[in-house]
Amino acid sequence: MENNVLRQRVEELATRVNGEVEESVGAIILKVKAPYIIETLTGAKNFPDAPCDFLHDLCGLDLVDHLEVVYQLSSLSGSQCLRVKAIVERENPVIDSATRIWQGANFLEREAYDMFGITFKGHPNLKRIYMWDDFEGYPLRKDYVIEPIEERNKVRQRIEGE
Amino acid sequence: MAVENTQELLLNMGPQHPSMHGVFRMVVNLEGETVTKIDPKLGYLHRGLEKLAESRTYSQFIPYTDRLDYLASPHNNWAYVQTVEKLMGVEIPERAEYLRVIFGELARIASHQVMIASTALDIAGWTAWSYAFRDRERILDMYEMTAGSRLTVNIMRIGGISAEPPAEFWPALKAFLDDTPEMLEEYYGIFLGNEITQGRLKNIGILSKELAENLSITGPVLRASGVNYDVRKAAPYSIYDRFDFNVPVRTGCDSYDRTLIRMDEIVESIKIIKQAVRDIPEGPIMAKVPKVIKPPVGEVYHRVENPKGELGFYIVSDGTTKPSRVRIRPGTFINIQMLPIVALGWKIQDVVAIFATLDAVLGEVDK
Repeated sequence: MENNVLRQRVEELATRVNGEVEESVGAIILKVKAPYIIETLTGAKNFPDAPCDFLHDLCGLDLVDHLEVVYQLSSLSGSQCLRVKAIVERENPVIDSATRIWQGANFLEREAYDMFGITFKGHPNLKRIYMWDDFEGYPLRKDYVIEPIEERNKVRQRIEGE
Repeated sequence: MAVENTQELLLNMGPQHPSMHGVFRMVVNLEGETVTKIDPKLGYLHRGLEKLAESRTYSQFIPYTDRLDYLASPHNNWAYVQTVEKLMGVEIPERAEYLRVIFGELARIASHQVMIASTALDIAGWTAWSYAFRDRERILDMYEMTAGSRLTVNIMRIGGISAEPPAEFWPALKAFLDDTPEMLEEYYGIFLGNEITQGRLKNIGILSKELAENLSITGPVLRASGVNYDVRKAAPYSIYDRFDFNVPVRTGCDSYDRTLIRMDEIVESIKIIKQAVRDIPEGPIMAKVPKVIKPPVGEVYHRVENPKGELGFYIVSDGTTKPSRVRIRPGTFINIQMLPIVALGWKIQDVVAIFATLDAVLGEVDK
C-alpha cells in the first residue's frame, strides 16, 4: 500500500528530472544523470506523504563504462526506502555534493572520493579519508591493479649510508 | 571565555592512546584546556574489506565480516548472510532464525557491556570496568561452547547457522539471563549511579535531535537524542515482528543518556532472548542451499540494527560466484562525524567522555 504511494511519487519526480524508475529485489531505484542530483534529492526529501528524508548511505559504484554514486534514502518516520543512482562520467567524475542537504554526507563523500576519485563540488573538506594524502590511484575502481604478492613480499635492500 | 595572551596548542591524540578504542587519531586544537577544533584522522586499520570481497566467493567473505565490529561479531555475520539470502531468495528454517536471534541479542548484550566498561575506564573508573568484563566472559563462554571461538565467532552460514548449541548451552544461558538484573544493578550502583560519573557525563556533549537526524546518526546514539527509531520495529527483519519488546528512548541528548540507554537495551534484549528460548521449535538448522553460491544478477540493500548503529550491506551481483561490489555501511563510521561538531567548546577530558559514549569500534570505522 505505502509502496504504491511512494512509487507514484517517484515516477512524478522521475519525469521532472529525466530519470528512469527501476526495481530490484523489492526496492525502488531512481536513476538520474549527475547534474540533476540535487533536485532529485531535495525532491525525494520533500515527498508530501512518504518523505525519504534520511540519508542512510552513499557510495560509489564502478560499472566499467561509467561510474555511479548510489544514495540509500530512508525515513525515520516510516518504512519507505528509495535508492537514487547518479550516473557520472568515468573520465571526468564530478557531481554536486549532498552535504548542503545532509551534513552526514561529509565522511561518505570523502570515502567515495578516496576509493573512486569522484569529485563532489561544494564539499567543505574533500580529502582522502582512509588512504594517505599522496596515495596514487583509486582502489575500488575495477581497473586498479593490485600489487602482486611477490612484489609485496620483497625485502627492501638497505641503501648505503641509511 | 578565551584568556588573553595564550597560545593555541595543537594536541595529537592517538593512534596509540588509551582512550581512542584502537587506532583512532584526532588532532585537537586547544585554547588552554578548551577545544576549538577537532580533525579526526581515520585509516590506520583500513584493510580494504570491500576490495577483498570482490576476489572472494560469497561464503568466503563471512569470516571477514567478523572483523568489522569485532565486539558483536555474530551480528555482522547475520547482516551479511541475510543480504545474500535476500538476493538469492532463500527461506531459512525456523530453528535457525530463533538461534540467530538468540546469538544476535547475546552479542548486543556483550557489546553494550564493553561499552559500559570502556566508558568507565575512559573516565578513570577501573572497578566498573572489571565488573562488566567479568559478566561478558559468560557470553564468550557460550559462544565458545557452540562455535569454538570467543571473539570472531563466524557462526552464521548462508542458509542457516553453523552449529547446534550443545546441551550445556541452555542451562548456562538460563543462569545468565537470571543473573542479569542483578548485574545491571551492580553496574548502576558502582558506575552510573555514582556522583562522580554523573558529574563527568551529565549535560556533556549535547547532540540535538535535529542535528542527529541531519548527520545520519543511527542506533543508541540516535535514540538517546529522543528519536524513536529502531530497524527491528520500523522495518522488521528476520523474526523480530514476533517478539514483544520496547524500544528505549531517552531525551537527555547528553553523554549520560547515551550510556544509560545501553542499560535499557540490555533489559530489552533479555526479554527477546527469553521469548526466543520459550518458542524455539525443533528442526533443521540449515536450509538446502547449493554448494556453489551463485546469486542471480541484481542488487540488494539490507540493513540491520547492530548494537552500535545500523549496519547495511549493499551487494551487486553479476551472476558469477564472486560479488561485483560489496558495500559496507558501518554505523560508527557515520556516527563519529558528530565528534568535531558536538565536542567544540568542551574541555579535553569531556572530549574523551563524548568519544567513549559513541562506542566506536575501529574495525568497523576503518573496515
